[in-house]
Amino acid sequence: MGNTHSHHHAMSENIKDVSMVDVSDAADESKTGSQKAIVQSFSKLDIGDHGAAPPLQRRRSTLIFDDDDDMPRHEENVGAKTDLDEDHTSQDELTGNSSESSSASVFAQQRMSPDESQGEQSSRQPSPGVIPVEITWQQGGNKVYVTGSFTGWRKMIGLAPVADRPGVFHIKLQLPTGTHRFRFIVDNELRFSDYLPTATDQMGNFVNYIEITAPESQDTLQQQGQDQAAAVHPKQKPKAAPVSARSKLALQIEGEPDDMGDGYSRFHGGVELKPHYEYTQDIPAVFTDPSVMEQYYLTLDQQQNNQQNLSWLTPPQLPPHLENVILNNYSPNAQAGDSGSENNSGALPIPNHVVLNHLATSSIKHNTLCVASIVRYKRKYVTQMLYAPLQ
Amino acid sequence: MSTANSETISIEQKLAVQSIRRFLESKTSYDVLPVSYRLIVMDTSLLVKKSLNILLQNNIVSAPLWDSHTSRFAGLLTSSDFINVIQYYFSNPDKFELVDKLQLDGLKDIERAIGVRPLDQGSIHPFKPLYEACCKMIESRSRRIPLIDQDEETHREIVVSVLTQYRILKFVALNCRETRYLKRPIGELNIITQGNLLSCRMHTPVIDVIQLLTQGGVSSVPIIDEHGRLVNVYEAVDVLGLIKGGIYNDLSLSVGEALMRRSDDFEGVYTCTKNDKLVTIMDTIRKSRVHRFFVVDEEGLLIGVLTLSDILKYILFEEN
Repeated sequence: MGNTHSHHHAMSENIKDVSMVDVSDAADESKTGSQKAIVQSFSKLDIGDHGAAPPLQRRRSTLIFDDDDDMPRHEENVGAKTDLDEDHTSQDELTGNSSESSSASVFAQQRMSPDESQGEQSSRQPSPGVIPVEITWQQGGNKVYVTGSFTGWRKMIGLAPVADRPGVFHIKLQLPTGTHRFRFIVDNELRFSDYLPTATDQMGNFVNYIEITAPESQDTLQQQGQDQAAAVHPKQKPKAAPVSARSKLALQIEGEPDDMGDGYSRFHGGVELKPHYEYTQDIPAVFTDPSVMEQYYLTLDQQQNNQQNLSWLTPPQLPPHLENVILNNYSPNAQAGDSGSENNSGALPIPNHVVLNHLATSSIKHNTLCVASIVRYKRKYVTQMLYAPLQ
Repeated sequence: MSTANSETISIEQKLAVQSIRRFLESKTSYDVLPVSYRLIVMDTSLLVKKSLNILLQNNIVSAPLWDSHTSRFAGLLTSSDFINVIQYYFSNPDKFELVDKLQLDGLKDIERAIGVRPLDQGSIHPFKPLYEACCKMIESRSRRIPLIDQDEETHREIVVSVLTQYRILKFVALNCRETRYLKRPIGELNIITQGNLLSCRMHTPVIDVIQLLTQGGVSSVPIIDEHGRLVNVYEAVDVLGLIKGGIYNDLSLSVGEALMRRSDDFEGVYTCTKNDKLVTIMDTIRKSRVHRFFVVDEEGLLIGVLTLSDILKYILFEEN
């Protein structure tokens, strides 16, 4: 226990360290049992409900590391583009099986004995939005870690050897839907698994990636239910609802993959469980009664306390996803040391799925038209730009 | 002691090359692609001079072509197409009008007119092993290969991307840890092109250098001084900058003057010696956009060139 605490402290004072969490220490650390809400906090869905969580308690949360002192500074993520791209269309074989107890978060494994974590867990529901994903390394080694976009590439998460299967290591991670990229560190070497999908990142490094989709529509429904409910009862829950709606808005606006450098800040740590919501036939008063609406937004603004003086109430000029056209961000010379598209292979940020299969066009210059469209090709995205003359 | 050492190094190198080859066999062209990337395609009815501007604007040196009449992939536009046009115009100065109005689908006529055999580019499906893509490139002596698939519904061709030798070697350098065992001096490996090396001087007319590029079927001509020391290089892609502004009016320039058109982000000329090792070469490929290494001796005299296809051939076919 004391051991663990000092460990904590060291970390909190030294946040920028790339900390290495070793499962072999799990035994020592397993006694704490103080990890609360490990899983829930990673859920972007629980943004929908902060009934008991005043804004002050919000914090930057990674997907796996709940403790404030463990937070990597996402602003410093170097080249680690993360992906909010929710993809409900393709079912991934890696989609977490929901039968698994969600207690098996990294920390649960590292810091709790099975019994304790079980007890801890029974009081909590599996958090919707994060999906347990088993990551396996089966190519040998003594010490195996995984690092990836889900930790901002700054943390290494230890994998535990699988009994009776030499050279096989695994870990169960709680990851939100979307695409995650990662590599393994096997005996201090960066490797990728031959058994998982691979891609190259912006720098041309070979990485594994998984695309996590929601296992059931149930989660989605639940989320919608929450959102609705949050909007439905602004009066009954004057504190909770505004925050949730606001967060939702923020999520949508900022949910562009392009600015995901500090994207994880959007995953506010949820401390309490959300109650169960239901659909309703009634149009919420906030949409029908202007005075309720005004009240609602005023509350919202006070809650935000962000001194924007309601400026955010002005409707956006464009639908939010159009404000970030990835082609507009493309600058072949922007990446230092990566001059020219041949070196970065024309890599682009991962597009938001809502922009797929849309036709974008440039203005016609010199009788030449350029149209572009982002399409899926298998599990990657091709932004094809076609130049053609006007006939 | 030293013989035992060099023997170990030889064995290690052999095993490493075999391992890299297995890597190329186990991965596909698709694996090399980033998760999200852009691909610039040009319609074949586009004017050649416009296509040049588009290449330069986008900072690329080649692009796949699309025939909208047949809905088919129509080959790659590369710097050699522009070289052909330059040569055609140089020997037919009265045909300015034709050159000025030339469309991309007219490039074949130019090839015919100057008697150049059209390059057989070939193409490959993205899910074929990378090894196969490499072999195809070596066979067709091309530096890039288009990845072509079929649309699942319409069964029409789709251009997925274009792979270059550089990208594949960079991919190997990034992802194969085995490269660090490639410690034999390249002079021992018999992979350097030596002797009969084409070269030019700073005052050589640029049109002669362009001639050399096509004659030798090479992507660059080294520029040497009167002592045979390497001073610079003229690359096939430099012609894009040469004909950028006014069209084809500067063919009387010397190659030295032509080089002044080069953009500021030119990577520079990479050299190595016979004692350098492939591990260093691969490391350089990983870090920089390099397309060939000129081999020089201690005095800077040019003695050979190591191209990316030389390296690729070695990895694909040697050390069995």
